[in-house]
Amino acid sequence: MVNQKKCFDSDHNEKRLVLVVEDEQVNREMLGLMLSAEYDVLYAENGEAALSVIREFSSSLSLILLDVLMPVMDGCTLLSIIKKDDDLKRIPVIVLTTEKEYEVKCLKLGASDFIKKPYDAPEIVLARVQRIIELAESTYIIQNTEFDRLTGLYNQEFFYRYAEQYDRLHPQAEMDAILLDVQHFHLINALYGHDFGNLLLTVIADEVRRCLSDIGGLVCRKEADMFLLYIPHGVDLPDLLKRIQSVVTRHTGNSTVKLRMGIYPLADRSLDIMLRFDRAKLAKDAASKGKHGTSVAYYDDSLHKQQLRSQQLIDELDHALESGQFEVYFQPKYDVRGDEPVLFSAEALIRWNHPEFGFISPGVFIPLFEESGLIFKTDSFVWQRTVEQIKTWREKYGIIFPVSVNVSRIDLFDPILAEHFTELTNKAGLPNSAILLEVTESAYTEDSRSIVDMLEKIRSRGFKIEMDDFGAGYSSLNMLATLPIDVLKLDMSFIKNITANKKNLYILELIMQIKDKLGVPVIAEGIETREQFDLLKGMNCDIIQGYYFSPPVPADKFEVLLKEKVKK
Amino acid sequence: MMTLDGLRSFGADVNDGLARCMNNEAFYLKLVNMAVSGEGFAELSDALSKNDLKSAFEAAHKLKGVFANLSLTPLYKPTNELTELLRHETPGDYQALLNEILAQKARLEAL
Repeated sequence: MVNQKKCFDSDHNEKRLVLVVEDEQVNREMLGLMLSAEYDVLYAENGEAALSVIREFSSSLSLILLDVLMPVMDGCTLLSIIKKDDDLKRIPVIVLTTEKEYEVKCLKLGASDFIKKPYDAPEIVLARVQRIIELAESTYIIQNTEFDRLTGLYNQEFFYRYAEQYDRLHPQAEMDAILLDVQHFHLINALYGHDFGNLLLTVIADEVRRCLSDIGGLVCRKEADMFLLYIPHGVDLPDLLKRIQSVVTRHTGNSTVKLRMGIYPLADRSLDIMLRFDRAKLAKDAASKGKHGTSVAYYDDSLHKQQLRSQQLIDELDHALESGQFEVYFQPKYDVRGDEPVLFSAEALIRWNHPEFGFISPGVFIPLFEESGLIFKTDSFVWQRTVEQIKTWREKYGIIFPVSVNVSRIDLFDPILAEHFTELTNKAGLPNSAILLEVTESAYTEDSRSIVDMLEKIRSRGFKIEMDDFGAGYSSLNMLATLPIDVLKLDMSFIKNITANKKNLYILELIMQIKDKLGVPVIAEGIETREQFDLLKGMNCDIIQGYYFSPPVPADKFEVLLKEKVKK
Repeated sequence: MMTLDGLRSFGADVNDGLARCMNNEAFYLKLVNMAVSGEGFAELSDALSKNDLKSAFEAAHKLKGVFANLSLTPLYKPTNELTELLRHETPGDYQALLNEILAQKARLEAL
């Protein structure tokens, strides 16, 4: 079958396909002769036969020429079927009739034009046919680019264009730029299925559209669950969100679906329209990272300063790497299964000593580099330094001391990541088991198939995989049995609340009970006190990391611990 | 053997009909033969003899379209007249018009 694209080929190597539906053979052949000079022609002698041809060639048909009075199924019936069918309605129909009464009826049903009997001269028929095809194709292109197929809202490109137009036409208007989305939308899709996700999006779209018909303004679906609203300032936005939220809850019958709004109020018109919505997004992101349950967040001065600083850090990354502002620290992990804790391994952690800001927390710059796609640069810096360090220690002390490094979710999409690690260890003359990869739990749950495939590939080469932050997100114990994991690293929040929260304690006990059966040792990190240490050791935890033993330290300080280990 | 000159003497607007066939003479003659030997005449006679005016209208309407496209004026005229009478089931001499149509058909076949 011919591809849809054919309809839009600018070179006319291939002829467009038209269908003549006419019960009278003489008329059919006459039209066919006229059309075959320019088109490939299909024929059908009644509505029913035509419908099956139309369905078969639905993606490649450019036009239907349709007689009205026919046996079996008449033209009007067929026309109404075509125009009600989402797959077929784009195909324009020219009705062949002499009858005035049918003209009105067919126009109402969606006919594009008429050709009377007796037919006009062939040139005229061809010109009409060509005009209708061109019209339908350009309409189709516009509709498909201007509107989001699922919700019927504008897509972002047209939205931005119309927003700019709105500004021109309303030079004094004060506007708010708003981003609206659904909390944990990918999770909702995973839990309830894509049909539910799509229903949710159309319900939101319909309600926003309804609201905007009262208050004015524009809306589009930018991507996935992200809606952009550009509306006159002064609307009670928390109230607007409540209204949309209540409709969503009612329509979906699901009260766990929560909407969020990021608002850039009185958006600065001197800023590019896209940047205005970036600020709305920034407000939303900041709110979702912070206090739980904040559903409306505003872009303000402090966010603005933060944004400028973030940009500065991004801009300075390359220079910082070259000028040695980054350093790798090591935090020891102790095996606590015996009577005495034994130095077992270490985690490599990055430190940034900024000449202007001083020590910058990885909690600040790592998420930033992850978002901007730069994380591979800092991650691979740590990997490289770590391998060099293990090599140095081997030369000095004759032991291969295994160290774990962090691997960001984004790194796992690099198709040659396994090769990259192998090259690192090969160059240093180290076995692959010297490196442990810490992969955060959320990486497994997000886009699991491709990530799991990558991890299996890496693991098959002898590298060990630690699942980091276990229990922070939505993992299940089931994952431990099925996924490529060598070590489980508990999320720090378990430890923090361990004495206050009984439930956490029970979950911990449960994990400790099954880990041995699954053959997956457990690491607890963030252990700061004797009390926490005793509790975890008592629960049969395997390995412990935290300030209780040592903070992350530079390589030379770490070496002191290593020397002691070697002596013993 | 039907020819363009024969059709002209019959009263057809040959140039007009020929133009719709991209001036392809053989194709035009083929369609005229097809029209004359079609089942439309029998359907019309049949419906009228049964006094089924709705079917008669549909048959007449169809014939009218074909004759118009081929510019067979002597056939078109009585067919058109009959179609208009049948459309609203206006009382009239349907049989006389049918006879006229069949007579013109016979003239054409005799060419």
